[in-house]
Amino acid sequence: MALTWRAVVLAALGVVPVALVPVPGTALLWTLVVLAVCGVDAGLAASPRSVAVSRTAPGSVRLTDQARSVLTVTNAGGRRLRGLVRDAWQPSAGAGANRHAVDLPPGESRRLTTVLVPTRRGDRTADRVTIRSYGPLGLAARQASLTVPSVLRVLPEFASRRHLPSRLARLRELDGRAAVQVRGQGTEFDSLREYVIGDDVRSIDWRATARRSEVVVRTWRPERDRRVLLVLDTSRTAAARVDDAPRLDASIEAALLLSALATRAGDRVELVAYDRRLRARVAGANGPRLMPAVADALAPLEPALVETDWPGIVALVRERLSQRSLVVLLSALEPATVESGLLRVVGQLTDDHVVVLASVRDPEVAELRTGRGDAAEVFDAAAAERGELERVAVAARLRRRGVEIVDALPEDLAPQLADRYLALKAAGRL
Amino acid sequence: MVLGDGTTTAGRARSRWRRWRLLVVIALIATTVALAAALPEPQTSTVALAPDNPSDGGARAVAQILERQGVDIAYVRSSAEATAAATAGTTLLVTGSALLFGDQVDAIAATEADLVLLDPDDFLLGAVTDAATVAAVAPRDPGPAGTPAAPPLVARCDDPDAVAAGSIVASGAGYVARTDAATVCFPGSDPEVGAYLVVDERGRRVTAIGDATVLTNAHLAEEGHAALVLRALGRHDQLVWYVPSSVDFGQAPASGPGLTDLLPPWAGALALQLLLVAAVAAVWRARRLGPLVTEPLPVTVRAAETTRGRGRLYRRSRSYGHAAAALRAAAASRSAARVGLPASAGAAAVIDALARATGRSTDDVAALLYGPPPTDDAGLALLARRLDDLESEVHRS
Repeated sequence: MALTWRAVVLAALGVVPVALVPVPGTALLWTLVVLAVCGVDAGLAASPRSVAVSRTAPGSVRLTDQARSVLTVTNAGGRRLRGLVRDAWQPSAGAGANRHAVDLPPGESRRLTTVLVPTRRGDRTADRVTIRSYGPLGLAARQASLTVPSVLRVLPEFASRRHLPSRLARLRELDGRAAVQVRGQGTEFDSLREYVIGDDVRSIDWRATARRSEVVVRTWRPERDRRVLLVLDTSRTAAARVDDAPRLDASIEAALLLSALATRAGDRVELVAYDRRLRARVAGANGPRLMPAVADALAPLEPALVETDWPGIVALVRERLSQRSLVVLLSALEPATVESGLLRVVGQLTDDHVVVLASVRDPEVAELRTGRGDAAEVFDAAAAERGELERVAVAARLRRRGVEIVDALPEDLAPQLADRYLALKAAGRL
Repeated sequence: MVLGDGTTTAGRARSRWRRWRLLVVIALIATTVALAAALPEPQTSTVALAPDNPSDGGARAVAQILERQGVDIAYVRSSAEATAAATAGTTLLVTGSALLFGDQVDAIAATEADLVLLDPDDFLLGAVTDAATVAAVAPRDPGPAGTPAAPPLVARCDDPDAVAAGSIVASGAGYVARTDAATVCFPGSDPEVGAYLVVDERGRRVTAIGDATVLTNAHLAEEGHAALVLRALGRHDQLVWYVPSSVDFGQAPASGPGLTDLLPPWAGALALQLLLVAAVAAVWRARRLGPLVTEPLPVTVRAAETTRGRGRLYRRSRSYGHAAAALRAAAASRSAARVGLPASAGAAAVIDALARATGRSTDDVAALLYGPPPTDDAGLALLARRLDDLESEVHRS
């Protein structure tokens, strides 16, 4: 039961009889009139429970893209339905204009489209569909909320994909497909071809040259079919906000760019998200199936407020990988947590694999370091410097254990991690 | 496809009842209490000599007898109400004079009603009439406790009320007549001093009884009390029963019409009607189109909170040494890296290299990087600025 502005007008019209017969009884009588008319009007409204509703929403949409939630409303009752339908979603699903006026004769259907512009990654669920059915006079309405479940998976934005073309170009240079040869020590022998001026004389194959009339050089290509394992740390350090987004989001961007790059480079990419237990895993997907699988696995990840179980991660890595691989740990370079966790077990990883630790640096700390305004700011600057020194120290200890460190601001992490991957590949260390 | 919300009319009625039953019960209780409060019930009080006080010290017995005899009693507690109600042709009973102020006494004296004063003092009696005064001694001494009480006083005058009463037991004040207009009855040992006084002057009758207890429920039935009191109070159909109150100071009530008198007669009905409009508008605006949707929010702790917290700790504990050491170490390590020194370089090597790079003296650089810690805010800020200068010089070189 709900009233409309017309009911207010009807109540206000009671001023006329009150003016004619100015006793309190008139007002009370008019109250009864208003109640009766509104009751009859609501009683004559079509039942909102005799309306069939179904919702169609796309399974997933990338953050910042639009999605359309379509409600199909069918009047299954015997009365004409004049009303208002609200397609409720979580606020972060970004359902803007979600109230639709409907006028449905019995038996007919309408499609009501609500445009969703999600504002957060993850699974956004639909709430109830509320139908308000007005009576013939439009004074009062009946209302019911129907549960029509629906989930929209909002995939990570992958804003770092703008860095992909330049990195792919660098990859082609490595690959021998481009004009310039970039050669590393650990690359694989590809083919023999004629020497042209500008080639490295050290790459001349003298034995082949002796058999033929012209000078022949060996060409190389980077190793392929290496394995890359991305480990996302979803523990409490991933929950802290950097630049108004959780650290995890920057890690996800970096993971997406590296996955895209590595799969184009012909490597096999696996991904796990872990804190004290496995949160997500992508394995066995290659080529064009990889990126959708990675995005889908990363979309619903939320940081858990627990400490990372580093021995568990090491056990997981050893279980997944048998040959030498690239292990990328997307975590935080927090001196306290690294010292008590990662440093103790990282040796077991670096013995068998190439390990890269990618960490999000906080631009706010860099800002604090330059504060000289008053005593409080200088103390903050000193604290920031101390924290930075500790980060440098713990990074140095990790490097001594053989861990590569990528420590970058949120928007730089993805390209820098990709560059580090390319550098490792060029150096043939994979 | 979803049809309906899975409820039935009966189920909805049940859930609505469950949701509203507490409010319904509370409303019922409130209505019952309001009705019970509105019902006319015999009200009693504990005010001495009040017409609604059924205890020994009250006077409900007299009041009820008078009402049964057709006397209309107006019970008032303020002198303003009393003087307003005491017009000519009524009786004004004043049950005491101790709580009355001068202007209240004057107002009572100025009324045209017949007065019945219980145990009036000199002040009240003098204001009302000049024909009699309060005697210095009581007509009847009750004697110390335990001794046999003195015999009742006998009328010994020609006032018909007193003659009808015959005798009373009165231990209060006595009165002495000054002029012929005054009649004193029930004298004690001194025939001039009596416990009952009647003055007829200027068309008004003033009666004074020296002992208020003759009126009380406890003593009304003794001797001739009932006859005396009923005759004194029942002289007119209207009786104003004034019991002075300690919270009444005699100020006149606000003059002029009240706010409600200024409003036109239809204002009440219109207000009721507008109340209805407001209620309907409230229901119109209050009903939401479906329930609120909740949002599980992510953590909102900023990563730099720990750094800020550490800064506050430094500041609160006034750790100038720690803060300066951090600033110096950071500046030294950045500058050393800039001039190409390894991270493991010692202090002397760093000082030498930086002195060469900036053109400063080694002592200056050493004092800046390894000198004594500052001891106050200004010293720390100065050190920070000088370290910045050093770094910028290194970077320029």
